Amino acid sequence: MTTKLSVPVSVSLSFDHEHRKVVPKWVVWNKRLYPVTKLGLHHTYRQGRTLFHVFSVVSKSTFFRLILDTDNLHWKLEEIADGQPN
Amino acid sequence: MANQIDFNQSPSYRMHIDLNSCFATIEQQANPLLRGKPIAVAAYASPGGCILAPSIEAKTFGIKTGMRVFEGKKLYPKLIVLPPDPWKYRQVHLALRKILSAYTPNFHPKSIDEFALNLKGMPALKSMTMFDIANKIKKRIKNEIGEWLTVSVGIAPNRFLAKTAAGLHKPDGLDEINHKNFWQVYSTLSLPDLCGIASHNTIRLSSIGIYTVQDFYQASIRTLKIAFSSIAGYYWYLRLRGYEIDDMEFARRSYGNSYALPAGRQAFQTSKELAPILAKLTHKATTRLRAAGYKATGVHLARSYRDGSFWHEARTAEKILYDTRDFYKLAARLLLRSPSKPTRELAVSCFGIIKDSPLQLDLFSDEVKKASLVESIDKANTRWGHYTLTQARMIDTSTAVPDRIAFGGVKELEEFLQ
Repeated sequence: MTTKLSVPVSVSLSFDHEHRKVVPKWVVWNKRLYPVTKLGLHHTYRQGRTLFHVFSVVSKSTFFRLILDTDNLHWKLEEIADGQPN
Repeated sequence: MANQIDFNQSPSYRMHIDLNSCFATIEQQANPLLRGKPIAVAAYASPGGCILAPSIEAKTFGIKTGMRVFEGKKLYPKLIVLPPDPWKYRQVHLALRKILSAYTPNFHPKSIDEFALNLKGMPALKSMTMFDIANKIKKRIKNEIGEWLTVSVGIAPNRFLAKTAAGLHKPDGLDEINHKNFWQVYSTLSLPDLCGIASHNTIRLSSIGIYTVQDFYQASIRTLKIAFSSIAGYYWYLRLRGYEIDDMEFARRSYGNSYALPAGRQAFQTSKELAPILAKLTHKATTRLRAAGYKATGVHLARSYRDGSFWHEARTAEKILYDTRDFYKLAARLLLRSPSKPTRELAVSCFGIIKDSPLQLDLFSDEVKKASLVESIDKANTRWGHYTLTQARMIDTSTAVPDRIAFGGVKELEEFLQ
């Protein structure tokens, strides 16, 4: 089941300079901390001049689509899913 | 076998790379919870939505591209259906380009998920074989883009056979067709397995006694010219023998956009109903045209109807066009001439494109002022996002004409590489 959202969330992002990898470490949503267990894909898109980074991550059995707005460096949670059909 | 000596004896320098079940595999890469499950990316998740890409697992249940969502769910009721996310796919395409460019500058994307490479004379071949390079590319895709992504690779002396080889074992295949094994490979293929031989050509060939790929290979040039009634017969004769005749890229000749109208309460029958959609399609196509530095001399409008019929007409303007409003006026006139019936799809394109054409001044209107206004509108939309400044008639079209990846071509990707 996939649920579309548009809510602000707290995210910890880590950069590994040796492997040049950027990975979200945890997400706080609804006052609960979700450690990121896997990064699926990182991609970007532009809306006008603003660049957005999209991190598709999993915390155990929950999928999160996290968006970083590079204009203000604020995070939004756009989608959660459990990998089951709607 | 009399013709065997005719097959191209030169080494295989052509490589074809095909990302397996592209959109669906990328979605599984993004969301690991979907891996190993039958999923499908569809234009719309509603029952009537068209399936654009079933995953490898969905294909095992018989789900195919082009089916409707309800048909897919009949075959596998727990099918997970996702909407397309074009930016995700474009990003993977660009990452693939980056990897391939390390081995040869002579590569051509044939679509979002297919690349044709020519490695002849490349330094990579000094230390590696074609198979080594293919395996390295496969490994780099997994390490640098995503571990769930697999590609099928084909190697051959020409593009056509490299593509055919890439289709021999899916997913994750790696095959070569060359002068040593072509006859054996041809014995395992049927005519529709060849790219470019669909049902119509199969009928043509069977009408002159060609029923198998081996028959096709053995046919003379004269026979093939009769079968195709054109030079195409000679091209097929060469293609099947491993000679290169497809190594060409066609220049862009038009900019266009189309929209499959949703089936539902609204019939999209009258010009009044279709005008806002037409305005949005014209806005999108002409914005892309100007962003690439072109103007155009004409507009083409096509309308597909729910009863299966089709109408299209083109009109050339009296002067060179660049302003969306002028394109729209011409397109709207064409729309008024079209039969008024429930419509399934509307498509508009600007043809006769001219690069860097100087402004043609007009005695009765201030062209400099108009060009300046158009430029300002484009700048505002580039800064704040598409459709920030639009014509008022586009109101209420926010969900219509969504961002999509074109099938069978990557000309639109030029716009994202700038």
